Amino acid sequence: MKPRERVLTALKRGTPDQVPWIENDIEEGLQERIMGTTDFTPGELCEKLGMDGFGYHFPMGGKATAGQAMQAAVGFKESYYYPQKVTFDFVPPWIAEMGVTETGRTFIKRGLLTSDDSLKLFDEYLPDPDHPARYEQVSKWIAQFKGDYAVFARIRLGSASLLESMGIVEFAYNVYDNPGLIKEVHRRFSEWSAKVVEHLNKMDFDYYWANDDHADTKSSWMNREQYQEFFLPYQKIVANAMKKPWVFHSDGNLMPILDDLLTLGMNGLHPIQPAAMNIKEVKAKYGQKVCILGNIDLDYTLTLGTPNEVDKEVKERIATAGPGGGYIVTSANSLTDYCKTENVWAMAKAIKKYGKYPLNV
Amino acid sequence: MPGTTSVKDELKEAIIRGKRNAVEPLIQKALSEGVGPEEIMDEMMIPAMDVVGDRFSRNEIFLPEMMIAARAMNTGLEILRPMLVAKGVTGKGKVVIGSVKGDIHDVGKNIVSMVLQGAGYEVIDLGIDTPPEKFVDAVKQHQPRFVLMSALLTLTMSMMEETIKALQQSGLREKVKVGVGGAPLTQNFADRIGADFYGKDARAAVIKCNELI
Repeated sequence: MKPRERVLTALKRGTPDQVPWIENDIEEGLQERIMGTTDFTPGELCEKLGMDGFGYHFPMGGKATAGQAMQAAVGFKESYYYPQKVTFDFVPPWIAEMGVTETGRTFIKRGLLTSDDSLKLFDEYLPDPDHPARYEQVSKWIAQFKGDYAVFARIRLGSASLLESMGIVEFAYNVYDNPGLIKEVHRRFSEWSAKVVEHLNKMDFDYYWANDDHADTKSSWMNREQYQEFFLPYQKIVANAMKKPWVFHSDGNLMPILDDLLTLGMNGLHPIQPAAMNIKEVKAKYGQKVCILGNIDLDYTLTLGTPNEVDKEVKERIATAGPGGGYIVTSANSLTDYCKTENVWAMAKAIKKYGKYPLNV
Repeated sequence: MPGTTSVKDELKEAIIRGKRNAVEPLIQKALSEGVGPEEIMDEMMIPAMDVVGDRFSRNEIFLPEMMIAARAMNTGLEILRPMLVAKGVTGKGKVVIGSVKGDIHDVGKNIVSMVLQGAGYEVIDLGIDTPPEKFVDAVKQHQPRFVLMSALLTLTMSMMEETIKALQQSGLREKVKVGVGGAPLTQNFADRIGADFYGKDARAAVIKCNELI
């Protein structure tokens, strides 16, 4: 199988020739360490690692930047329309006061969507989703770099945009103080994403990866009824617009809301964070509904562990979630630049070593 | 004392349900019935937050309910604080808290801060990306009982150890209890870097602090 077919087969819960490997992000510092340069194409990175697809962003001969380069606020519109480095991301900015650390990572100082009056900030911050420039540029990059790989666009359903642009504490208060504001903010972000997706549907992307954190390791940040009231109706606006397979990403323990979440009809669920969810339980209970992606631990194994520990973990995950297909190996979030390089290589080797169907692990 | 039981239950319930607008009248009612501020605090408000914390730990309630309860608790604390200070009651003491240097995540830290305040602690929040020297300066300035550090990334966990070393080098380590928390942390890690405790969530952090007072 070609890499694209391998990924799409697994996303449709089929059994490919080999358990596929894709990542939601590989931070540029790690890309540079793997390649020994910043001057490489997305396909060259995939080929070197034996990975089956790409999305996210690449330095392409420029300076590797820290973080996931997904957030910006002031001045976002122009950089969104005319990206200066190769990217496949289509996420809205946080409507927030931003800061930058010494190492160049951006962070949110505080969300700005905290009152009805603040809704006017949407016009100031959100780019025009129908502006053609970014779609035209990214289409060229897809044509240039795609080859046999599965290429995805990163998007948002609007939930992370709501939570970060309002602030988690203000969100919590507004569930009781101003529920209408939560709904209006979510609706606006979701309608923006849905318009973006209408354009992406016409492009040569193979699938989408929606990044919307809803939870920490203890639980989701809302109960089931709150999820149904404040999130699900607006997420459906985006889900209904998507005409290609898609993966949903949220860190943390999603179990309290997972039955409802899956009604969105996503093809894949990512990243099954080991500290928060049990992949065996998820596979047994939901493996007939959705492809499982992830579960290679980032809290210890990839970042602090040894290559032997990575090998053992990949083997164990493939043995647990691989039988019957519908499993794609990924890290339990993304490959950050603080993963040990030797552990990433160990992951690459272990996937090939243990992931060939019929499985023998 | 007629009516005391009713006020006690009503105030407790108001905090559990996060009804902050009901808190002040109920405190005034309790005071007018001769209930002292310490009794209101110790027998009504803190037990209410214990109920909230337990329910939160068991996923019977979620973040919104926990946060509005903590807000209602803080409303009550603002009313009672001047009275408690006037009587020489110092509360449970101060906590200096921050996400360590390099770590820009604050959701967990903010939840812990709110729950600690709700439990009667005075919280000095140093924010995110907090270098060891800032923790040291805060300990010198505020003389807290506890220093709590948060990290979401394995990348930044090592800064917890650096901060503990900085406290040692400044001669402050024995003056505070150090607690650590965050998704990638474990009890083993806390033990290895010389922290006094690891809190797996906000409720656990409060329980550990209470045990160490």
